[in-house]
Parts: sequence; C-alpha cells; structure tokens
Amino acid sequence: MERKVEQSRHTLVLAEKPEAARRIAEALDQKGKAARLDMRGVPYFRAENNGRTIVVVPALGHLYTVAQERGRRDYYPVFNYRWVPKYVENGRDKQVRTFIEAIDELSRGASERINACDYDIEGSTIGYTILKYACGEKERDAKRMRFSTLMDQEIQDAYRSLSPSLDLNLVEAGLTRHEVDWLWGVNLSRALMLAAKHWSGRYATLSTGRVQGPTLNFLVEREKEIRSFVPTPFWNLNAKAEIGDALYDVAYENEKIPKRDLASKILEETSGKDGTIEDIQVKSYHQAPPTPFDLGSLQSDAYRHFGYTPSRTLNIAERLYLSAFISYPRTSSQKLPPAIGYADILRSLGKRKEYKDLVEIVLSKRDLKPQEGKKDDPAHPAIYPTGNAPQTALSPPEEKLLDLITKRFFAVFGDTALRQSMRVVIKVNGHTFYLSGRRILKEGWLKLYQPYAKEDEVVLPTLEIGQRIPLRQVAIEDKFVQPPPRYNPSSVLRLMEEEGIGTKATRASIVDTLYDRGYVRDERMVVTDLGFTVTETLERNSPRIVSVKFTRELEEKMEKIETGSELRENVLAEAIGRLKPILEELRSRETSIGQTLSEAIRRAQLEKRIIGPCPRCRTGNLIIIYSRKSGKRFAGCTNFRNGTCQAAFPLPQHLYGVKPARRSCKVCQWPMVEVKPKEKRPWNLCLNPDCPSKAKYRRNEG
Amino acid sequence: MTCPICSRGTQESYCDFHRMAHDNLTKAYVEWRDAMNITWEEYLKIVADNPNTGQWAIEVARDLLGKGVERPAI
Repeated sequence: MERKVEQSRHTLVLAEKPEAARRIAEALDQKGKAARLDMRGVPYFRAENNGRTIVVVPALGHLYTVAQERGRRDYYPVFNYRWVPKYVENGRDKQVRTFIEAIDELSRGASERINACDYDIEGSTIGYTILKYACGEKERDAKRMRFSTLMDQEIQDAYRSLSPSLDLNLVEAGLTRHEVDWLWGVNLSRALMLAAKHWSGRYATLSTGRVQGPTLNFLVEREKEIRSFVPTPFWNLNAKAEIGDALYDVAYENEKIPKRDLASKILEETSGKDGTIEDIQVKSYHQAPPTPFDLGSLQSDAYRHFGYTPSRTLNIAERLYLSAFISYPRTSSQKLPPAIGYADILRSLGKRKEYKDLVEIVLSKRDLKPQEGKKDDPAHPAIYPTGNAPQTALSPPEEKLLDLITKRFFAVFGDTALRQSMRVVIKVNGHTFYLSGRRILKEGWLKLYQPYAKEDEVVLPTLEIGQRIPLRQVAIEDKFVQPPPRYNPSSVLRLMEEEGIGTKATRASIVDTLYDRGYVRDERMVVTDLGFTVTETLERNSPRIVSVKFTRELEEKMEKIETGSELRENVLAEAIGRLKPILEELRSRETSIGQTLSEAIRRAQLEKRIIGPCPRCRTGNLIIIYSRKSGKRFAGCTNFRNGTCQAAFPLPQHLYGVKPARRSCKVCQWPMVEVKPKEKRPWNLCLNPDCPSKAKYRRNEG
Repeated sequence: MTCPICSRGTQESYCDFHRMAHDNLTKAYVEWRDAMNITWEEYLKIVADNPNTGQWAIEVARDLLGKGVERPAI
C-alpha cells in the first residue's frame, strides 16, 4: 500500500488532527468514502477526486518545537535555537516520531502538497514546519486550504479555490511568537531555577515568561488588596410595602447609611408608619440581542452557566469542531457573514425536535440579519453551529456547550426585547423608599436564548399617586464593605484579553500553567506564597519582566508581522535586546534571589503537606509524613518534634494519591484529605477515626 | 531587622505587605470611629474577627492587640 501511494503522484494534504484528516478525506472523495489506511500506527486517508488520488495525513498539533541548538541545559543566557522534532526535545513525545516518519514517506511520491491545518497562526505554523522539515523544504511550492468548518461543502469549496502559496505572513508571525516566547521563557525560568538550585542545592520547577509574568502580577496585585483589606461598616434599612395581600421589598433612599445612630433614628421614624406614593416613574427600554460568540465570550459564558474553565471550554469546543458540529472555535470574530448560509443552518437545526419551535420563530422573520459585534477576525467568522445533528450521544459537557452555541445562534437573529422598569417613590414621615418593578413587554430574542438569558420579573399591581402604603418589617441590617473579588480562570482570561497580552490560543494554557507551578490555587484564584515570592523577586530585581506594557508592545509588533507591516527579524532582535539586560540584572543578584526563592519553595512544599489544625493539641498542624522506616505515609502533628503532641492517623497507601482537602468534615469539623484512586474520581476522607459519619463502615467491619 | 509577623526582611516595624495592612487599619479606623464611636482596641478586636478582613490586616490587628499598642494619632 505504501509503495502504491508513493508511485501514484498523488496530492498530499496535511491536516492538524486525525479526526480533521478523516473529515477532509471523506469530503474530498467523490464517493464520500475515503479509504482509511495505516502506516506503522499512523492513520491516513486516501480519497479519489476527479481521477486524482488525494492522501490526507494528520499531524498531532505541533510536531516541531523550538529548542536550544547547542550547549548545556543548566546555563543561561541562551540565544541559539532551532526548530526540532518534539520528540528530540521531549522524550515522551514518541508518537511524534512515527507521525513525522509517516508524513515523510507519504510526501515522497507527492506531486502537490497542501496545508489544510486550521486556518490561523498555529495551523499555518504547524503546516509550515512539517512541509519544511518533514517533507524536505517543500514549503515554497505548497498550497493552502482555508475553511472555517469541517462541513463537506466548505471543504470541497476550499479545495477548489486553493491559495497558490502558504500564508507566509501568518507563518512568520507564528514562528516569531514561538521563538520569542521560547527565548523569554527558557532564559527567565532558568535564571530562577538556577538561582534557587545554586543556593539550596535542590532542583525545583519554576517558570515565568513574557505573558505568564504579567498575568501572575495581576493576580498578586489583587491578592495584596484582598489580604490587606479592612472592611468598613455601613447599615441598610430593609422594609416591605404592603399592597393588597402581598408584601413587596422596598429600598431606602440611601443604599448605605454610614452611621449606626443615624440608621437607628431612621428606623424609629419609619417603623410601623404608613407611606404615601409620591411619584411613579415608568421607563421602557430596548435590549438588543447578544452578539455571536467569539472564543473569549464563549469561554466566559460557559464558565458562568456551567462552571467550565476556559481551557475545558476550548477542549470541548475543539471536539465539537472536529465532529463538524460547530465552526472553528479559536476565533476573535463577532461577525457572521451571509456566506455561511443562515437559513440552511437554521433548517438543519430545526430538524431536532428541541429546536423546532425556536427555528420556526427565527425563520418566520422576513429578513435574517444577525446582531454583530465590533470584533473581527480576518481568518474565521464567529462561532456558529453547522446544523449537523449528532448521530451518537454526545457527552453531557459537549451537549451543554453545543446547546449554548446553538441558542446563541438563534438569539443573534432575534428581535430586540422590550423591557419596562417601574420605580414607585414612597414618602414615609419625611423619608423616601423606592419600590421597584420590572417586566418584559416584548420577549424578542430572550425567548430564543433560554435558559441562558435572565427573565426575572417583578410585576407590580396597579398603583396611583397619593395611594397609602403601609410599611412592614422595617429593620436595620449591619453590613460591611466587601473586599474586591478574586479572579477566576474566566475573569483572568477576560483581563488578559482587555490588557492585550497573549493570544486566544495561548491564554487558557497560561492560566493552567499558573496552577501547575503552584503559583495559584482554588477556583477563586488565591495566590500562594510561592506565587507571591516569584513575582516579588522579579519585580524587585527586574520590574520589566512583570510589566504589562512591555509585553503588550511586543504583542502589537507581532500582530504587525501578520499583516506584513513589521519584519520578523526586527521583532526578534528587539526581544533579545530587551531580554539581555534583564538577564544580566538577575545574574548579578543571583545569591539573594536564590535564597528568597529557596525559602519560598521550602514553605510551598510544606504548605502542600499541611492538612489542617491538629484537633488534639490545637496548636500544631497535621501534615502528611512519610515514615523513613516503613516507607508508609500517615498524618502527624508538627508538635511531635517538640514532644508536645503524639497525634498520628493512618492514611491510604500506595494505590491512592493523597493530598490535603483544604476543608473540614461537616460532621465533626476535623480536617480532611482528598484521596484519589488511580483513574477514578477523588473522594474526601475525614481523619477522625471516631467520626459519626464512619459509623456505617464500622458496623460493616464490626 | 525582620517583620515580627512574617519574618521578611524590612527596615521598618513591618514588612511592605504588613505595613500596607497597617496603613489600611489606621485609615479605616476613622470611618469606624465616626460610625460607631468605638475605641481603637475595640475596633481592632472587631476587625480581627470580621470574615471580610484580609489575612495581613488580621495579623497586624492581633499583633497590635498583643503588644497593647496605643492608637495612632488621627
């Protein structure tokens, strides 16, 4: 089979992933049945199209990466680099080797090569590096296929209208971004790790980078505000207005009463009194439909409605794209061009019974015109459903995200909603209270976007000026000004987007790295001691590393490469020029940096083991300890060393992962650990052997 | 010299972080005193137990209570 392919002078089409390769091959095969073949475990597909053989071979995302060209790995600065197969840099990427060998072999007999990887900066770079390195410098005469969905028609159209050459501006921008990020990441991370190692003699993984540094700095600044926050008091006056048989919440004119005495005085003057309606203010306002999803707004809404982290949303969206249920998700666009065929998509979606009624509403409109946002993306439209119906059951997260995207698609075609708000001014013994109502006069798009659009209504009865309103349940509530909220993975992504750092493709992974390195923890992101120390160290020794201004400037220049208005060589030279003095600064202060970081690493490692306060002595902490004698682990009190507490509790052993659960038992308030069996869901275990929650197990064992 | 709370190096009575919290405590006392007419010590006790107070501010409040430091001139 391999020989046949080699001799056939076929067209070689490169896809980014195996599933994309299958869809492209099936779309291009005149019978829609491409042959699935295999070369040493690498799947590839053969399609026949107008007498021509097309071989579609997948990559696994990036097969090549930037790596140090020569020299030791425990040294910086390093400015010599080259692109190498990923398996050379990382021994774990063994599969990459077989893919590169298969592509090389399949390319040898090809008379034409086409890059059909995702049409964006990463897809262009993936295709370019494969054509250049795996196919032997074939990037110059390769062609480019551009599509936004993996629908048959769009792939066939893209094949008929191939770009005669690769999109070299995107390629240059992609190569530059990878190289700049590598130069910054490797050098700065090595500076930190080597400083710590030279001080303590121990190796620890630390990292920072061009985008990671400023992102962590945002979180640290917010954390400082929260940790040094002092709440100030104010008082609220709560009351209810009795209208007919119903009670309605009313708000006092001042939302915050600054003095307790004043609040008590108002309470005295209004409690048990009747008020009179002095004014009724009615306002109607239009609420335009939402704009179509770009990746950022999809990640934000998926977090709000389902609690999915941005990287999880991106993963799910990519699966939906590869299954041809939605268009390409890594897009910045909030526009839907008519060319995607609104009516056809709607009619396809209408075949699903849960969408039938909604589709009828949209299709009954005389003119299908989507509400569009300002943001645009030259490569792809906003995210939209293709109309393809799932043939097999989707996973619940896929089902949810597809429903959100589908209903958003309906909503953007919906009519403007009309809402009415009513404010009733009630005077009570010289004080003013407001009774607020709101209702929907015309549902418009809100009906198409359920349950994701809020429809909360407070419908008031008919009221008139001068009407007497008895005030009930008047009470003072003690309140405190709240600290600023913590960032979560979704809001930090939005912040990065607003600040213009990172790209839609990289932001989510940078947030993941902050967790992986132990710089932040928890969903409401708490910066750890280690995260603090790394940022503090960088800021003190070289503030430019955490400066968002510098990162943004470089980002803008890299974007200019995409449009051909900046040269890649200039950007690289500038990035290195800015990096050199920073590295010199860090090296000159290596000892103090190493000492600070080593202490933070030691504290972080201890913090990872702390389960919670010891319930026996109440002064020490229970920590996870490994016995040198038996090799077994158990929970023991830190006061064991000074001989004041002997508390020790068994923990599950080798087949389970154990870490502090950072919560106490709801039943007995003792600290808990999270136990994770291999490839199973984790569960929490209370350390108290006599916890009432374990009574059932004791009975079973007993 | 080190911070009496976290042992970070400092030239002043607290490290940068705990000094920031100390400044906030001092500023916020004006609002608390006007709102509730309470003493510095009462204020520190309430703030140290308030769930909205930041960790560093709690640590400074407890440190001041332990030292019996007199209220700052405001």
